[in-house]
Amino acid sequence: MASFASLAIVLLVVLVVRLWFLQVIGGAGYQERAEANRLHTVITEAPRGAITDRNGKALVTSKEVLNLVARPQDLVGDAGARTLTRLSAALGHPAGFFAAKVARAQKASPFEAVVLEEDASPQLQAYVEERRAQLPGIELQAAYKREYPNGTMAAHLLGYTGPIPVEVARKYRDQGYLGNETVGRAGIESQYEGYLRGIAGRQQVEVDARGDIVGRGVISQTSPRPGQTLRLSIDLSVQKALERALAREVAAAGTSTGAAGVAIDPKTGAVLAMASLPTFKPEVFESGTPREIQRVLTSPGRPLLDRAIGGEYPAASTFKAITGSAALASGLYTAGEQIESPGSLMLYKTRFRGFNNKAFGPIALPQALEVSSDTFFYTLGDRSYRVPGWPLQEWSHRFGLGQATGIDLTEGESAGLIPDLAYKRQTCDRKLDPVNCSWRPGDSINMSIGQGNVLVTPVQMAVAYGAIGNGGKVVTPTLGNAVVDADGRVLRDLLSARAMNDLGLPAGVLEQVKQGLKLAANGNSGTSTPVFGGLPPAFKVAGKTGTAENPSKIDHAWFVGYAPADDPSIVVAVVVERGGQGANSAAPAVCSTMAASLGFAESRCGSGAKVN
Amino acid sequence: MTTLTGEPHGVGARPRQAVAGLDWWLLGMALAVSGFGVFVVRAATESDLASNSGFYFTRQLAFTVVGLVCLFFMLRLNLDDLSRYVWTIYAILVASVGAVLVLGASARGSTRWIELGPVRLQPSELGKVLIAFVLAVVLVERLKAIEPARLSLMVLGLTMLPAVIVFLQPDLGTALVYLAIAVVMLWVAGQPITHFIVAGAVIVAAAGMILYVLPAAGLNVLQPYQVDRLTSFVDSGGDRTQSGYQLEQSKVAIGSGGAFGKGPSGATQTINDFLPEHHTDFIFAVVAEMFGFLGGGLLIAAYFIIIWRAIVIMRLAPTELERLVAAGIAAMLAFEVFVNIGMNVGIMPITGIPLPFMSYGGSHTLTNLVAVGVLLRIGMRGRAAQAARAS
Repeated sequence: MASFASLAIVLLVVLVVRLWFLQVIGGAGYQERAEANRLHTVITEAPRGAITDRNGKALVTSKEVLNLVARPQDLVGDAGARTLTRLSAALGHPAGFFAAKVARAQKASPFEAVVLEEDASPQLQAYVEERRAQLPGIELQAAYKREYPNGTMAAHLLGYTGPIPVEVARKYRDQGYLGNETVGRAGIESQYEGYLRGIAGRQQVEVDARGDIVGRGVISQTSPRPGQTLRLSIDLSVQKALERALAREVAAAGTSTGAAGVAIDPKTGAVLAMASLPTFKPEVFESGTPREIQRVLTSPGRPLLDRAIGGEYPAASTFKAITGSAALASGLYTAGEQIESPGSLMLYKTRFRGFNNKAFGPIALPQALEVSSDTFFYTLGDRSYRVPGWPLQEWSHRFGLGQATGIDLTEGESAGLIPDLAYKRQTCDRKLDPVNCSWRPGDSINMSIGQGNVLVTPVQMAVAYGAIGNGGKVVTPTLGNAVVDADGRVLRDLLSARAMNDLGLPAGVLEQVKQGLKLAANGNSGTSTPVFGGLPPAFKVAGKTGTAENPSKIDHAWFVGYAPADDPSIVVAVVVERGGQGANSAAPAVCSTMAASLGFAESRCGSGAKVN
Repeated sequence: MTTLTGEPHGVGARPRQAVAGLDWWLLGMALAVSGFGVFVVRAATESDLASNSGFYFTRQLAFTVVGLVCLFFMLRLNLDDLSRYVWTIYAILVASVGAVLVLGASARGSTRWIELGPVRLQPSELGKVLIAFVLAVVLVERLKAIEPARLSLMVLGLTMLPAVIVFLQPDLGTALVYLAIAVVMLWVAGQPITHFIVAGAVIVAAAGMILYVLPAAGLNVLQPYQVDRLTSFVDSGGDRTQSGYQLEQSKVAIGSGGAFGKGPSGATQTINDFLPEHHTDFIFAVVAEMFGFLGGGLLIAAYFIIIWRAIVIMRLAPTELERLVAAGIAAMLAFEVFVNIGMNVGIMPITGIPLPFMSYGGSHTLTNLVAVGVLLRIGMRGRAAQAARAS
């Protein structure tokens, strides 16, 4: 019986010792775990800022959706695996579908909720709500999704959003991202990510074993901060007109592989419209399947290429306005001088042919632009070859060609090409054709009409023509107008601080070029008069067609012009790949765009006919 | 003025007689722990039922009051008289646990109660005291009459019948309490040590068979959850089965209580429901979380006093029958306390044994207080006999 008592003592002492180890020695560790049990961080998503046009019309908005998510920490072991398998089966996926998804996501960030299904359908929501008790660790979580009220409209400039790619996750984390956000990945969405991003609210709450918030509730919190609204300089109606016109011309040309257009306010650089065809659905990158994304990425039509800023095309006859301006500005040509412009020109023992060998006799620069004489500009090209220095190249650069315009889409803009000696040396083959490693007269002569190796982008041409039209100011094209608050009050002006380079030309120097461009669109022999000749006097257009020879054998059609001719408020550049002659397909698209911007009837635009 | 010599002052003769020889330590500790139990049940369950925060508290308070009434009835119990009805009692015990098994089987397979109108009785609980009494009677009557081995087997057989039925209910914990009572009583009755060695070997072999060998052969004696519970204490880290989770949360609750506890309102493991069964099997963890090592240690000390007084009473017992009954009750209390707290702190398997005087439950509370009443009665008789011998 004494042994009974001593046994009892021993056993109870064992308990006390064990209690000592648990509570006094291990206490701190268990206290941490009790806290981890008790406190949950609840993330409240903040919507990404909307993107609107200059008048506040929605281009991109955020829509609240419910995502089906899994909390990995509540889905461990066999029970968790069973839950995921049951859910996979219920939603018609293969058995291991969600388990694999969770495992993948957990490797990246172990404590974040894993999105199983985005934008859960009402049926799925009901399914989960009804079975809350049987689906521990599975819940519906509010999230936001990008919505594009105008479909694919302006897809290239708006860009798209998507999850942070693993390769750059570190960079984002340094900027305070958690790593599981949806961020701007291209276009404006990426460019202005800093304004558009919403910052999720974090709430530390006390929860019970079921994850329900209990008594004392919120311990600490930071409020979600919705992204700011970004107002673009885009005018939705002009954008629509441009896109419709491009689609129309691409369809009409039949053989066309794409088209691009840019409309800019030449006074400020504000981009009124910018489009590229073929296009894509931006939402694919946020919620499309990998296969859908892959299809866009590898499509032979290259729909992701923003041809308006990244498409490099031979400038063709549109370049003649640049050649003319360069000749005037550098004194190679004086206003009023008449130059014999035959069907073809024999220079340096080579025959340089004009378009259709058409002869115009002695004409001045305005007439040369009106009729788009090749030989006239061959002569100017030859003059530029003969003088010391590189006037043609120099003035091309000053007009913004051969380099990025600095549009607020840093990714995706191409520099184009203004060839010079350095370029020739770089690209020639010294063994096969050593002579070609020097700058030759023919290079200057071909360059004068925008062929040879001259490559430009539509946005560059819009800026250059804008500079002609506005009296010598090279603007920086700008899509962002302002960051505004919910009431439309401007929080930050994005436009006025943009760089603007003055060419520094005395007033009137470019008058001959402006006259020529006006004649080209309105004169009796103007190349685009059939299109623009019928416009009301207040909206006279000045502009130039271009027919760019290229390896595909079918010419690209160009038109660049501004209006009203005397005090332009819009300059538009359009290129239709394999669209044939400029006046036939590019010029009508420009006219339609201007109609929307300036407010005249589109029916006043002719349908194009003439040449070159 | 008359001096009332020989008459006690202030207290009447009858009441004084009624409590003469009462073990105040045992009664005091049983009352203190029971009261503390009611308080802890209240603190632990306030947020369990949103519609009625006092549900468990009021019921446990009522159980305790009823239990105390029964306790005082026990003070007048005559075990010798009762021993004439031993087989009737045994039959009632077997029949009632059997009835639960049958009714349970027709229900959803896990009922431990008999419903009598509004009262739900758990006969296996009261059965703990009954089996101690039955075994005591059998041992006393046959101790000298039959050879020790047959007696041991008989006692074990008498225990196993209700124990197996209870086990099938299924209630492994209570069945084990029956066996513990039987083993201790055989020991106290002076059965040869070899019996215990053989029994020990048989138990180890049986446990091995039931837990590992038979399942491997495709025969599952225990429900899967029972195997989980029995084996999860061996290694609960990272074990996310239900019982592993329970044990883990229990350890977190106890450990986070630290030296002085987090107080009734800061015990988040309990209040926020991370600790399952916090008002029944894991109530010790609640105490340790709320009141720390200090509270847990004091509670264990209180149990030590209760068990110590039970052993003292056992030694005072005037008859062999009472001595064995006291031994059985002491065994029951000691086994339950050790196994329950042991499972709370993770050194014993989870067997579903409640903590005496603390765990919520009507039959359980009643049984423990009745057992204390029986002990007190034996103690009073022992003191009286001692006094008689002395005079």
